[in-house]
Parts: sequence; structure tokens; C-alpha cells
Amino acid sequence: MVALGGLVAVPIVELARVGVEEWQGGGGLDRAVSGAALFNTMWTGAAVAVLAVAAGTGAAFVTERMAVPGRRWLRLGIVVPIVVPGFVSALSWARAYGPGGLTDDLVGWELPGVFGAPGVVAVVAVNAMPIAYVIAAAALRSRAEPDLERAARAAGAGRRVAAATVTLPLLAPALLGAAALTFIVGINAFGVPAILGTPAGFGTVTTRIYQDLARSASPAAFSRAVLLALLLVAIALAFVAIADRMLAGLGSLTRTAAPAGPQAVARRSGIAAAIAVWLTVGAVTVVPLVALILVALTRGVGLAPVPSNWTLGNFAEALDGPLLGALGRSLLLAAAAATAAVALGALVAALQRRRAGRLYAAAVLLTFAVPGSTLAVAVLLAYGGRLRDTLTIILIAYVAKLWGVGHRTVAGSAAGLPPDLYRAARAAGASAWTAVRTVVAPQVRPALVAGWLLVFLFALHELTMSSLLHGPGTGTLAVEILDLQQLGDVPVSAALATLLTVPPLVLGVAVVILAGGRLLGGAR
Amino acid sequence: MIARACLALAVGLAGLAACGDSGGTGETITVYSTVTADTVEAVVDGFEAANPGTTVEVFRAPTGEVTARIAAELRDGDLGADVLWLTDPLSMQQYAADGLLVEWEPAEGDAVPAAFRTTTFFGTRILNMVIVHGDGSEPAPADWDDLAAGVPGGVAIPDPGFAGSAFGALAFFALSPDYGIAYYQALADGGAVQVRSPGDVVTGVAEDQYGAGVTLDRSARSAIADGSPLEMVWPASGAVAIYSPIAVVEGGAEGTARDFVEYVLGVEAQQAIAATGWQPVRSDVEWPFGGSQVTLDWTEAFDRQDELLDAYREIFGG
Repeated sequence: MVALGGLVAVPIVELARVGVEEWQGGGGLDRAVSGAALFNTMWTGAAVAVLAVAAGTGAAFVTERMAVPGRRWLRLGIVVPIVVPGFVSALSWARAYGPGGLTDDLVGWELPGVFGAPGVVAVVAVNAMPIAYVIAAAALRSRAEPDLERAARAAGAGRRVAAATVTLPLLAPALLGAAALTFIVGINAFGVPAILGTPAGFGTVTTRIYQDLARSASPAAFSRAVLLALLLVAIALAFVAIADRMLAGLGSLTRTAAPAGPQAVARRSGIAAAIAVWLTVGAVTVVPLVALILVALTRGVGLAPVPSNWTLGNFAEALDGPLLGALGRSLLLAAAAATAAVALGALVAALQRRRAGRLYAAAVLLTFAVPGSTLAVAVLLAYGGRLRDTLTIILIAYVAKLWGVGHRTVAGSAAGLPPDLYRAARAAGASAWTAVRTVVAPQVRPALVAGWLLVFLFALHELTMSSLLHGPGTGTLAVEILDLQQLGDVPVSAALATLLTVPPLVLGVAVVILAGGRLLGGAR
Repeated sequence: MIARACLALAVGLAGLAACGDSGGTGETITVYSTVTADTVEAVVDGFEAANPGTTVEVFRAPTGEVTARIAAELRDGDLGADVLWLTDPLSMQQYAADGLLVEWEPAEGDAVPAAFRTTTFFGTRILNMVIVHGDGSEPAPADWDDLAAGVPGGVAIPDPGFAGSAFGALAFFALSPDYGIAYYQALADGGAVQVRSPGDVVTGVAEDQYGAGVTLDRSARSAIADGSPLEMVWPASGAVAIYSPIAVVEGGAEGTARDFVEYVLGVEAQQAIAATGWQPVRSDVEWPFGGSQVTLDWTEAFDRQDELLDAYREIFGG
């Protein structure tokens, strides 16, 4: 409760107070909302949610329900886009598939609509997809009932019928949670529409907010930015309310017992599916990253990315700063934010069993729906006086922003956990803490780990809020890197973007090699 | 186990936060800036070397983040900056009107051309909006009107909603009796495309995505120096000159803040600014590039910013 008040209520109320107090009538809001920006935001969010959840669920079925070679690497390949900041994805897609990009240079082919609505939706969906995948995969492990699936199959249901009538309904809470998160990611995206949408005149609420904040010396522009941010919150709330209503309509699906026996059913060979997933991963992740790295290696923009034009100078320029301290701060902040967001998220998930808990569940998504720039303003309004320029204020912003991610990831798996086991443990004399630790925690462990990793990676490359809130000696890695970015020097930016993306990737590879499938999966 | 981890993290955070507070023994001033990092760093290093014991702390971020932070701090009642050093005069107009800035006369203020200073804020460097075109495009555009007449491959312009310098260009053309907002309509009719920033214009033209574009002289020069297939054209009727203003904040460490501003306007700092690729505001500091310039009335541009942006968006969307 206290955390909810401090992290969500205080900043949002401050924001609303300032926004309303300063709203100068005079068509402030309708001027900002008029036009296509609002419409663009709504349908972009919906399209992103549909695409991301469909792709993420499909990928989860392939990695969790089929016998595929190199499963760990496939999992890693699917979640890679999460370590790529939005503006980096946009930049790299433009360099890979845009006019004058990699495929244009090599085979004279460019993807139509990269600059414009299709490009914006595709790139944001790719970035949001890992969220859906992680949630769906965790739910498949911790929620789906192999026994029920077997029963359906034994009763003569085909593979598809079993999936549609047994597995998917069991996954529904998790998928709706994923849809809510990815929808919010969609309406919140800023870097991608700014880079890919601008040439097509495709504005969104977030690009409008940023433009108004940039001119926020003018009180009218400032209050417009605030009110637009609150509008995004309202849209997100409406969407989440609909999702929750649908969830309630599904009836209560409470498990009878913990999943027993070997998990994977119908372990059919998934070679074809695995190849399809790998090809997709290659197209949406590998090719753009290669294009980005080629730009980073090239002396100047517009030169052919051939060895005679290569240089490491862009990297040298990118690394010329106090990056080590910043890296340490970023790791610390990300770890702290991930731990806090998952702990608080689990708390809300536990409270959710009561009626009022639903309210908490919706409330933690409020701050996730506020665009980073505006949320940072809200946190400054609430805590700037005492905490300005400290790491604590950055941490508050991170946790406020990412609590919802932690919560939805855990809640998707925790919903419908059988209460009987917990009761049995309590009845057998275990304290509440022991019962949670020994009975509940093991069952939601994959989701806890997944949520922690999601929040950690988000926080690690968070740019907007840190850039607004940092002070002397509290710059994060992304801030220091941005600071070094020369005005529009694309090769150096690409080098910086590569540096922001590759270390978490290496970390991911290390985790796969060292921990194997245990972290995300359990023994296999 | 989790509790212990949290404790360790909290202790670590407290330690790091404490590190942030350590400063020199002398006076410390805080500068909020949107100016490129290498430029700020060079000037601050020079000032600290010339004033031992004085520390300059810099909060540097893009324009959107800096203005948003200032807006939040003003509403919180405590602006953390002693000096503001911004990219263009638009926001400064408002801060001056709100009485946030000290009215004074710096020692060498007269060295700044009258078009590039007011009584509260003073130009430090000049950003020039110029024309770039691809290698070997014939005939090469020579002036603003050539862009409106249409260029093979199309013209790229930076979005005034994102880039302050692009807003300066918009205000110049829209408010000029010779061009008017019709100039942008003509650009759009000729197939011009908006991109986010002047840097994106350079990239797009270098990649042959566009035939020509409007961008900053420094971006163009730096890409050309890296070997990009580009040419820069100084428009015959003049580059749109935008000055990057600096000001002392009312009620802060005013004495040291004034010293800092006077240092930035001095010859040594002006040379440092030139060395990072920007045109120094003082004409008595050597600057090998350039040509004729046109300027705009920032007060009018400020008063009519919403109207100008609306008219622009009618044409280009976004």
C-alpha cells in the first residue's frame, strides 16, 4: 500500500494537479489531440498487441511444446529484441531494409513502408514480442496442465483441438496480461515513431508529448504535455479494464494440483517450426543488427560498408568517457529495480486474490502507461526537492515504471494456483512465509525469474527518464553514451547503439552457457 | 536471502549517491545545458583551469529533457541551475519574460553582435542552416528557392517540432515577407520529406535517399570530413543563423555564474568553441568557414510558435 501510494499515486496525482491547475482552457487539449495523432496511437497499440502476442505465443509453443534442437539458443534468439532499445531498433531497421540500406545495396530490395505506419508497427511489435513470449513461455511451464492435455488427446482430440480447448484457455490470463503490457508498450513507444514515423508525417501522442515538453518553457505547451500523458493513462486503463473484464468472463480456472510428471506433451519433432522461428529471428533481429554494426564500422555515412571504408574510430569516440562508473551504476540500478519490481509485483499478485486487489493490479499499470519523459517530470514534481540528483530518484522512477512489468509477469502465472497446497502447508504448521517459500514460490519461480530479467534489461538501457533525472555523478550508461553522441553523427550513434546492445547480449549468451535451461525453464 | 540482497543494494546505492555530492572546496555552480558535450566540456575545463577552486557541475541532456526538467523544478519551487546554456533562444524568451534571468551587462558583451544578444541572454555560438546535396547532382541547388522549385530525388527538411534549429528556419521563412509559409507548401508540393533532425537530413542525403536537404553547417562539414559523398552549399541569399544563448539564473550563485558567462564570451572560450566545430559568436575570433547570414526576430517567433507549428503540421503532418 505504502509503495503503491509512493510510487504510483503521489507522482500521478502531482502530475494531474499541475496539469489541471495550469490548463488554460483555450482549446489547449483539443488542439493537441486533434488530428491523427490520437487515432494513430490507438491503432498502433492495438496492432502491436495483437502481433506481439500472436508471435510470442507461437514462439512459446515451439520452444516449450516441441522437440526442437538447440532449444536454449532458440529461446535466447527470441528474447534478443528486448535488449535493443527502441531508437536503436528503428535506426537499424532503417539501415537494414530502408532505401539505401543493406538489402537495397545487396539485392536492390527495400521493404515498402519502413518509413511510415507499417514500419512503426512492425518494429514496435518486434520489440514488444519478447514480453509476450516470456510471459507465455513461463505460463506454459507453470500453468498449463499436461495431464489435461493428455486427457484431451486420449479422448480423441486432435493436437489443434487440444491446444484450442485446453491449453489456450489455461493460458488466457497470462496472454491477456501480455496483451495489456504490449498494448501499453505500443502506445508508449517514442523512439520508433520519432525516427520511422516522422518522414511519413505519422505523429503519435508520444511524439506530440515530447515536442510539447521540448517547448515546455511555455506553460500552455507544458500543460498540454501533461494532459496528453494523462490521456495515455486513461487509454491504457480502458484497455486493461476491458482485458480484465474478458478475464472475468472466462470463469475461474483454478488448478487442482501442481503439474505432475514430465511437462512436455506430444513431443513431436519441431524441426520445421524451429527453422521458421530461426528465419524470423534472423529477419527481425540479426539482419538489422548486422546493418547497425556495419554502419558503426564505416568511416562516414553514405560510404559503402566495405573493408576499405572500415574504422574503429567510431567506437573509440563512443568509448571516450567515464563509462565504467556509469556501467556499474546502471547494473546496480537495474538489479535494484528488477528486485523491487518483482517483489512488489508478487505482492500485488498475492493481494489480487482479494477483490480490492484488482484495483492494485490496475493501479500499477498506471505509471507504466505514462511516457518516460512525463513520468520523470512527475517524479521530480513529487520528490525533486529532497532527492534531486540522487540515484534514489532514478530508482524510484524505474520501479514506478516497471512495477507493472514485474506484476503482470508474475500474476499471469500465479493466477489460479491451487490454494489447497498452501492451505495444506499452513495446516501442517508451516508459517505463512515458509508456506509461500516452499509451496508457492517454486511454482511461480520461472515467472519470477522471467520478470526479474525483463525488468533488469528494460532498466539497463533506459534512456529518457535517466537522461532527465541524472545529476553530477549519477549518470547511467545510456546517459553517458547519449552524452557522447555528437549531433546527428550517425556512425558514432550506431557505434554507441552497438555498445548498448551487445554487452547484454553477451550476458545472455553467458547465462545460457553457464546456467543452461535451468533459469527460465527447470531441468530438461 | 532476498532481504540481504536488498540491503546490500540499498547500501550500495547510498554509497554511490554520496559520491555524487563530493565537490571542490571553492564555490560550485551548476550549468544546465543542451549544447554538445565536447563543446561544454572544453569550455568548462578552461574555466576551471583559469579559476582554481571553482567547480562547474553540468547537467547536459537533449532540449526536451532539459526544458522538461526546468519546468518540473520551477513548479517544485527550486530551479537547480545557476547558468542556462541552451541551443536556441526560444525557451530563453519565456524564462526572461518570467523574470528568471538576471539582467546585466557582461564585460565583453559588446563583442557579441547586437542581433545575437538581449539584456538577459547572450549568444555564444552560431548554428547555420545551410543546403546539402548529393555528390554530383546537376544542377546543384544554389539557394533556398532552388529547393522549392524541386530537386531530383527530393528534398529532406528537419522537423521543427523536434529540432530547435529547424524551428528557427521555419520561423525565418514563415515570418519573412520574401517567403512566407507558402515556401513550405512549395517544398511539400515539390515532394519534400520531413525527417527528425538535421543529422538525419545529412544521413538521408549521403545515403542517396534524398537529392538535397536543409541541415546545420557543422553536421554537413563533419560528415564531409568523414568522407561522406556530400556537398555543402552556402545559400546565396544567406544561411539562417541561429544563436545559442547563455544566461545567469536569478537567485543562484550569481557571482561565479557571471564569471562563467563572461568567460564563455571571452576570446579563449570562443576559440575552444570554434575548435569543436561551431561558429563562435564573436567575429574577432578566427573562423575559416561561412558566408552571408540572415537572422530572425525571436520575440515574434516565440509569440507565434503554436500558430507556426500548426501551419507547418497542416502541410507536413506529424
